[in-house]
Amino acid sequence: MRGRTRIAAALAAALGTALVAAALMLPAACTRKEAGAPAAAKGAEPVTVWYHTGRPDERDTLKNQVADFNGRQDRYRVELTLIPEGGYNAQVRAAALAGDLPDLLDLDGPLLASYAWSGLLVPLDDLLPEATRADLIPSIVAQGTWPSGSDGRLYGVGTFDSGLGLFADRAAFAAAGVRLPTSTATAWSAKEFRDALAALAAHDPDGQVLDLKRNYRGEWFTYAFSPLLVSAVADLIDRKTLTAHGTLDSDAAVGAMTEVQRWIQGGYVDPNLDDAAFVRGRVALSWAGHWEYGRYHDTLGERLAVLPLPDMGHGSRTGQGSWQWAVTAKAKSPEGASAFLAYLLEPEQVLAMANANGAPPGTRTATARSPLYGPQGPLRLFAEQLGTASVPRPRTAAYPAITDAFQRAFADIASGADVKEALTRAAAAIDRDVADNHGYPVSGTP
Amino acid sequence: MSARAAGPEARAGLLMAAPAVVGLAAFVLVPFVLAFGLALTDLRLGSPLPTRFVGLHQFARVLTDPVFLRALLNNAVFAAVVVPVQTGLALAIALGLDRPLHARPVLRTLFFLPVVLPFVVVAVVWELIFAPGPAGPANALLHLVTLGHWAPVDWLHDTRYALGAIAVLSVWQGLGLQMVILLAGLQAIPRTLYEAARIDGAGPLATFRHVTLPGLRNVLVFTVTITTILAFRLFDQVRILTRGGPEDATTTALYEAVAAAFDRQQVAVGSAMTVVWFALVLAVTYGVRRLARGRGRT
Repeated sequence: MRGRTRIAAALAAALGTALVAAALMLPAACTRKEAGAPAAAKGAEPVTVWYHTGRPDERDTLKNQVADFNGRQDRYRVELTLIPEGGYNAQVRAAALAGDLPDLLDLDGPLLASYAWSGLLVPLDDLLPEATRADLIPSIVAQGTWPSGSDGRLYGVGTFDSGLGLFADRAAFAAAGVRLPTSTATAWSAKEFRDALAALAAHDPDGQVLDLKRNYRGEWFTYAFSPLLVSAVADLIDRKTLTAHGTLDSDAAVGAMTEVQRWIQGGYVDPNLDDAAFVRGRVALSWAGHWEYGRYHDTLGERLAVLPLPDMGHGSRTGQGSWQWAVTAKAKSPEGASAFLAYLLEPEQVLAMANANGAPPGTRTATARSPLYGPQGPLRLFAEQLGTASVPRPRTAAYPAITDAFQRAFADIASGADVKEALTRAAAAIDRDVADNHGYPVSGTP
Repeated sequence: MSARAAGPEARAGLLMAAPAVVGLAAFVLVPFVLAFGLALTDLRLGSPLPTRFVGLHQFARVLTDPVFLRALLNNAVFAAVVVPVQTGLALAIALGLDRPLHARPVLRTLFFLPVVLPFVVVAVVWELIFAPGPAGPANALLHLVTLGHWAPVDWLHDTRYALGAIAVLSVWQGLGLQMVILLAGLQAIPRTLYEAARIDGAGPLATFRHVTLPGLRNVLVFTVTITTILAFRLFDQVRILTRGGPEDATTTALYEAVAAAFDRQQVAVGSAMTVVWFALVLAVTYGVRRLARGRGRT
């Protein structure tokens, strides 16, 4: 907060009541405080923890972990508060303005840089034990490091990552006579992918053979489709200069997004309004994340294949990143927060969470022992991709503006807009935001 | 009335108005003043950089932003279509129900039902109705009505149809409220006026023009004003169904303000948008009132 004048602070506080008030009322009303272990020792140091109410299995696992942690030692007592996911970011931001953040909280991965830039977080390099950090998979380290580059520090750590790829119905592919690539090295080229769609469509009553999860909203489109830009040697922004012009609107980017537009405008893509295009057998191919594996496998069984995303020219690329834990700058007990975080990163705990929510484990030890992601696991492709073919979304405080611009561009392109024009507009919007923020200087002063 | 008598009465009046006045001040006046103040700065949510006073720069910026101007245009088009259509339909239904029908309570409830449905539910239903392809109910119905001449469209992803589709579902959802208010207004018109009109030999059309409409005037003005404000407030439908797209065809001033302030964390820009929007709604509402009052005098 250094460098901020008193007037600005007052304005910011006023903002909290004026603009965020509405967003706050609902989440605040249904925020639930989970009591720590009732029998906790009296002298234990309280450690406040916020978590978004994600999937029920994730929530229950964390509650068990809190109870277990509080029971196995008596130095710290973790007090967990669950906050609804819908208003989570707004509520954390508002709490930050009011100086009311907990010791430890979780954040959606791509927003981490924005929080770190705001000075709300402390680096974990010195807080987490050396062995714990060494066990993290490379994609977790990459996503949690800010700024990117050699002077980056670790601000966030996820106990699990995410996996993105294509899920395919082997039977439909056999009928259409199309080969199934099962490693990133053998991924379809753009042309092979187009041919595969055409071959599948010839055997499909309505010609719609691909599910791109068009029913999803928001972040999905940046997460799932910006890797195509990198595969075509473009990107959302130039990661060194932080400028989008010349990168997001480059010919390579236009080419990759034109390809996506062709799939949609060519009638190959199911709108998936019921989120069941793949499980009902309407499509043979679904562009989706690891979270769909359970449902898809229940329906298709051995017919289910997990494939890499198509290669737009320079190697198949995929997404990464999920929710991450971070210790706040005003934590009353940073030691307690990091002790709990280190506990969550123990192999048994990482596995407990990964088995509960089906996500790729965040540590090497847990990955090796995971039934889904281990050497023989059905989702080992996702584990292999992380750190080799996966691309972290840009780690800059400009990310909220970047993803907003790309989501709009994607929606326009999907509905048939001129690709070059849509991407040029998105690039201009991003560059203007970066200029408004004086280039997001890392030191905190322009 | 003596000053002595007015004292306690005025005090009681103030006392009774106090909760509403305090509420208005806290939730309308203060936020508006704050928003205006914020719009004069370059404040950005979560920025560690010092906030600076930039004068009217943000206003110049939003008023030259093609997306925001498109949003204002969409608001205007939406209001220009929805206000007359929704009020007209509501009046027609209210007139139909303003007679001794056994089923009236049931019908009234049915027409009012969409108003109380949470919009998230409404959105799911209408997203399915507007499903692309020949199987989508909206496309199937038009196919049937036009005897096969309708080519299926992707309602919510087509620049030509998206705003229209949102207008249709908005009218469907908002209709009940106007209908109930107008029905209450109709029932407040003294029956003796209708009897007198009948004795004077007035037909149904003349009765409507000279008895119903004048009797309903205040209620109609209120309904039109409320509908106009609600039309300019268009946000939920857009946020849930189209996110302003495709190609800004359905974006609105409020949607842009929320996207700027919360999606992109550009609080000052968002504040400037809400100030412009508020001034515009105020002007339009004032215009509607002036128009109604002017007509009343003649």
